[in-house]
Amino acid sequence: MSTLNTAVSVAASALSAERTRIEVAVSNLANAGSTRGADGKTYRRRDVVLATDTVRSFDSALGAASATGVKVAAIVEDQTAARRSFDPSHPDADSEGFVELPNINPAEEMVDMVGASRAYQANLTAINLIRDLVSRSLELGRA
Amino acid sequence: MAIDAIAAKVITGVGTGTLSPVAPTGGDGGEGFGASLARLVGTVEDSHHSANAAVNGMLNGQLDVHDAMIALQRADLTLQFGVQVRNKLVNAYQEIMRMPV
Repeated sequence: MSTLNTAVSVAASALSAERTRIEVAVSNLANAGSTRGADGKTYRRRDVVLATDTVRSFDSALGAASATGVKVAAIVEDQTAARRSFDPSHPDADSEGFVELPNINPAEEMVDMVGASRAYQANLTAINLIRDLVSRSLELGRA
Repeated sequence: MAIDAIAAKVITGVGTGTLSPVAPTGGDGGEGFGASLARLVGTVEDSHHSANAAVNGMLNGQLDVHDAMIALQRADLTLQFGVQVRNKLVNAYQEIMRMPV
Protein backbone atom coordinates (compact mmCIF):
# COMPACT_ATOMS: atom_id res chain seq x y z
CA MET A 1 0.00 0.00 0.00
CA SER A 2 3.03 2.23 0.20
CA THR A 3 2.82 3.38 -3.41
CA LEU A 4 -0.80 4.36 -2.94
CA ASN A 5 0.16 6.11 0.28
CA THR A 6 2.70 8.14 -1.67
CA ALA A 7 0.08 9.08 -4.25
CA VAL A 8 -2.28 10.21 -1.50
CA SER A 9 0.50 12.28 0.09
CA VAL A 10 1.20 13.92 -3.26
CA ALA A 11 -2.47 14.76 -3.76
CA ALA A 12 -2.65 16.06 -0.20
CA SER A 13 0.31 18.38 -0.83
CA ALA A 14 -1.54 19.70 -3.88
CA LEU A 15 -4.66 20.27 -1.75
CA SER A 16 -2.63 22.41 0.67
CA ALA A 17 -1.03 24.36 -2.18
CA GLU A 18 -4.37 25.05 -3.88
CA ARG A 19 -5.86 26.11 -0.57
CA THR A 20 -3.05 28.66 -0.22
CA ARG A 21 -3.77 29.90 -3.75
CA ILE A 22 -7.43 30.39 -2.85
CA GLU A 23 -6.47 32.17 0.38
CA VAL A 24 -4.19 34.57 -1.50
CA ALA A 25 -6.86 35.26 -4.14
CA VAL A 26 -9.40 35.92 -1.39
CA SER A 27 -7.00 38.30 0.34
CA ASN A 28 -6.39 40.13 -2.96
CA LEU A 29 -10.12 40.39 -3.55
CA ALA A 30 -10.79 41.62 -0.03
CA ASN A 31 -8.10 44.28 -0.31
CA ALA A 32 -9.09 45.57 -3.74
CA GLY A 33 -9.90 48.91 -2.14
CA SER A 34 -7.24 49.09 0.62
CA THR A 35 -5.20 52.26 0.37
CA ARG A 36 -3.11 51.54 3.47
CA GLY A 37 -1.10 48.36 3.96
CA ALA A 38 0.82 47.18 7.03
CA ASP A 39 3.85 49.24 5.95
CA GLY A 40 1.76 52.35 5.31
CA LYS A 41 1.93 51.92 1.53
CA THR A 42 -0.85 50.79 -0.77
CA TYR A 43 -1.63 47.05 -0.69
CA ARG A 44 -0.03 45.17 -3.56
CA ARG A 45 -1.52 42.19 -5.32
CA ARG A 46 0.04 38.90 -4.15
CA ASP A 47 0.83 35.86 -6.22
CA VAL A 48 1.65 32.29 -5.21
CA VAL A 49 4.72 30.55 -6.66
CA LEU A 50 4.40 26.77 -6.65
CA ALA A 51 7.38 24.41 -6.75
CA THR A 52 7.86 20.65 -6.81
CA ASP A 53 8.47 18.97 -3.49
CA THR A 54 9.68 15.51 -2.58
CA VAL A 55 7.09 13.77 -0.48
CA ARG A 56 8.61 11.91 2.45
CA SER A 57 7.72 8.27 2.19
CA PHE A 58 9.21 4.82 2.25
CA ASP A 59 9.63 4.86 -1.54
CA SER A 60 11.51 8.14 -1.61
CA ALA A 61 13.76 6.93 1.22
CA LEU A 62 14.81 4.10 -1.08
CA GLY A 63 15.57 6.56 -3.84
CA ALA A 64 12.80 5.19 -6.03
CA ALA A 65 10.49 8.18 -5.82
CA SER A 66 8.23 8.31 -8.84
CA ALA A 67 5.73 10.72 -7.37
CA THR A 68 6.59 14.35 -6.67
CA GLY A 69 4.46 16.60 -4.54
CA VAL A 70 3.97 20.33 -4.72
CA LYS A 71 4.61 23.08 -2.22
CA VAL A 72 4.23 26.83 -2.01
CA ALA A 73 7.72 28.16 -2.74
CA ALA A 74 6.93 31.81 -2.13
CA ILE A 75 4.19 34.41 -2.03
CA VAL A 76 5.44 37.33 -4.12
CA GLU A 77 4.07 40.83 -4.58
CA ASP A 78 2.96 41.89 -8.02
CA GLN A 79 5.15 44.87 -8.97
CA THR A 80 2.85 46.43 -11.57
CA ALA A 81 2.00 50.06 -10.90
CA ALA A 82 -0.87 50.93 -8.59
CA ARG A 83 -4.09 52.30 -10.05
CA ARG A 84 -4.38 56.08 -9.60
CA SER A 85 -7.77 57.63 -9.23
CA PHE A 86 -8.58 61.30 -8.79
CA ASP A 87 -10.28 61.86 -5.44
CA PRO A 88 -8.99 64.98 -3.66
CA SER A 89 -11.31 64.51 -0.67
CA HIS A 90 -9.75 61.12 0.19
CA PRO A 91 -7.51 61.25 3.29
CA ASP A 92 -4.78 59.30 1.44
CA ALA A 93 -4.79 61.57 -1.62
CA ASP A 94 -1.41 63.04 -2.64
CA SER A 95 -0.70 66.71 -3.31
CA GLU A 96 -2.18 66.42 -6.83
CA GLY A 97 -5.41 64.90 -5.51
CA PHE A 98 -4.71 61.34 -6.73
CA VAL A 99 -5.26 58.24 -4.56
CA GLU A 100 -3.22 55.10 -5.18
CA LEU A 101 -5.44 52.03 -5.26
CA PRO A 102 -4.11 48.42 -5.28
CA ASN A 103 -3.17 46.89 -8.64
CA ILE A 104 -5.99 44.37 -8.33
CA ASN A 105 -8.50 43.38 -10.95
CA PRO A 106 -11.39 41.56 -9.21
CA ALA A 107 -12.27 39.62 -12.38
CA GLU A 108 -8.72 38.27 -12.55
CA GLU A 109 -8.91 37.16 -8.91
CA MET A 110 -12.21 35.39 -9.57
CA VAL A 111 -10.64 33.49 -12.47
CA ASP A 112 -7.72 32.56 -10.21
CA MET A 113 -10.11 31.26 -7.57
CA VAL A 114 -12.08 29.20 -10.07
CA GLY A 115 -8.83 27.67 -11.36
CA ALA A 116 -7.60 26.87 -7.85
CA SER A 117 -10.91 25.38 -6.77
CA ARG A 118 -11.07 23.18 -9.89
CA ALA A 119 -7.53 21.99 -9.21
CA TYR A 120 -8.54 21.27 -5.60
CA GLN A 121 -11.50 19.22 -6.79
CA ALA A 122 -9.33 17.31 -9.24
CA ASN A 123 -6.96 16.31 -6.45
CA LEU A 124 -9.88 15.30 -4.23
CA THR A 125 -11.08 13.06 -7.04
CA ALA A 126 -7.63 11.49 -7.25
CA ILE A 127 -7.66 10.74 -3.52
CA ASN A 128 -11.15 9.24 -3.74
CA LEU A 129 -10.07 7.09 -6.66
CA ILE A 130 -7.10 5.73 -4.73
CA ARG A 131 -9.29 5.02 -1.70
CA ASP A 132 -11.78 3.17 -3.88
CA LEU A 133 -9.01 1.12 -5.46
CA VAL A 134 -7.66 0.10 -2.06
CA SER A 135 -11.08 -0.90 -0.70
CA ARG A 136 -11.84 -2.83 -3.88
CA SER A 137 -8.56 -4.67 -3.43
CA LEU A 138 -9.55 -5.51 0.14
CA GLU A 139 -12.70 -7.14 -1.22
CA LEU A 140 -10.46 -9.74 -2.85
CA GLY A 141 -10.08 -11.30 0.60
CA ARG A 142 -13.80 -11.17 1.35
CA ALA A 143 -14.77 -14.08 -0.87
CA MET B 1 -11.11 10.88 21.97
CA ALA B 2 -13.80 8.32 21.28
CA ILE B 3 -11.90 7.02 18.25
CA ASP B 4 -9.05 5.89 20.45
CA ALA B 5 -11.37 3.94 22.69
CA ILE B 6 -12.96 2.10 19.76
CA ALA B 7 -9.57 1.40 18.20
CA ALA B 8 -8.20 0.04 21.46
CA LYS B 9 -11.16 -2.31 21.85
CA VAL B 10 -10.91 -3.64 18.34
CA ILE B 11 -7.17 -4.06 18.52
CA THR B 12 -7.21 -5.96 21.82
CA GLY B 13 -10.04 -8.06 20.42
CA VAL B 14 -7.95 -8.98 17.44
CA GLY B 15 -4.68 -9.42 19.25
CA THR B 16 -5.44 -11.22 22.50
CA GLY B 17 -8.97 -12.55 22.31
CA THR B 18 -9.36 -14.84 19.35
CA LEU B 19 -5.95 -15.35 17.93
CA SER B 20 -3.57 -16.03 20.79
CA PRO B 21 -4.39 -19.80 20.70
CA VAL B 22 -3.15 -19.94 17.11
CA ALA B 23 0.44 -19.04 17.89
CA PRO B 24 1.25 -21.77 20.45
CA THR B 25 -0.38 -24.57 18.43
CA GLY B 26 1.52 -23.72 15.28
CA GLY B 27 4.88 -25.19 16.32
CA ASP B 28 7.59 -24.04 13.91
CA GLY B 29 5.41 -21.72 11.85
CA GLY B 30 3.55 -20.41 14.89
CA GLU B 31 6.16 -17.82 15.74
CA GLY B 32 6.06 -16.36 12.25
CA PHE B 33 2.29 -16.07 12.44
CA GLY B 34 2.43 -14.49 15.87
CA ALA B 35 5.19 -12.05 14.94
CA SER B 36 3.51 -10.95 11.71
CA LEU B 37 0.22 -10.59 13.55
CA ALA B 38 1.88 -8.46 16.23
CA ARG B 39 3.41 -6.31 13.50
CA LEU B 40 0.02 -5.98 11.81
CA VAL B 41 -1.63 -4.93 15.07
CA GLY B 42 1.21 -2.47 15.61
CA THR B 43 0.64 -0.95 12.15
CA VAL B 44 -3.10 -0.64 12.78
CA GLU B 45 -2.42 0.97 16.13
CA ASP B 46 0.12 3.39 14.60
CA SER B 47 -2.31 4.50 11.92
CA HIS B 48 -4.99 5.08 14.56
CA HIS B 49 -2.57 7.12 16.63
CA SER B 50 -1.68 9.30 13.63
CA ALA B 51 -5.39 9.67 12.78
CA ASN B 52 -6.02 10.75 16.36
CA ALA B 53 -3.15 13.24 16.19
CA ALA B 54 -4.44 14.59 12.86
CA VAL B 55 -7.96 15.10 14.22
CA ASN B 56 -6.56 16.84 17.29
CA GLY B 57 -4.35 18.98 15.05
CA MET B 58 -7.34 19.95 12.94
CA LEU B 59 -9.38 20.88 16.03
CA ASN B 60 -6.44 22.99 17.25
CA GLY B 61 -6.32 24.71 13.89
CA GLN B 62 -2.81 23.49 12.99
CA LEU B 63 -3.86 21.08 10.24
CA ASP B 64 -6.26 21.25 7.33
CA VAL B 65 -9.50 19.32 7.13
CA HIS B 66 -8.19 17.19 4.28
CA ASP B 67 -5.13 16.12 6.29
CA ALA B 68 -7.34 14.85 9.11
CA MET B 69 -9.72 13.12 6.72
CA ILE B 70 -6.90 11.41 4.84
CA ALA B 71 -5.40 10.20 8.13
CA LEU B 72 -8.83 8.84 9.15
CA GLN B 73 -9.23 7.09 5.80
CA ARG B 74 -5.77 5.57 6.12
CA ALA B 75 -6.59 4.30 9.60
CA ASP B 76 -9.90 2.89 8.35
CA LEU B 77 -8.30 1.07 5.42
CA THR B 78 -5.50 -0.28 7.61
CA LEU B 79 -8.06 -1.54 10.12
CA GLN B 80 -10.10 -3.20 7.36
CA PHE B 81 -6.93 -4.84 6.09
CA GLY B 82 -6.14 -6.08 9.58
CA VAL B 83 -9.65 -7.47 9.98
CA GLN B 84 -9.35 -9.28 6.66
CA VAL B 85 -6.07 -10.89 7.66
CA ARG B 86 -7.56 -11.90 11.01
CA ASN B 87 -10.59 -13.42 9.27
CA LYS B 88 -8.35 -15.44 7.00
CA LEU B 89 -6.28 -16.72 9.92
CA VAL B 90 -9.35 -17.67 11.94
CA ASN B 91 -10.88 -19.41 8.92
CA ALA B 92 -7.72 -21.44 8.39
CA TYR B 93 -7.61 -22.34 12.09
CA GLN B 94 -11.28 -23.44 12.13
CA GLU B 95 -10.84 -25.39 8.92
CA ILE B 96 -8.02 -27.37 10.50
CA MET B 97 -9.95 -27.91 13.74
CA ARG B 98 -12.90 -29.29 11.78
CA MET B 99 -10.71 -31.96 10.21
CA PRO B 100 -11.76 -35.46 11.30
CA VAL B 101 -8.93 -37.36 13.00
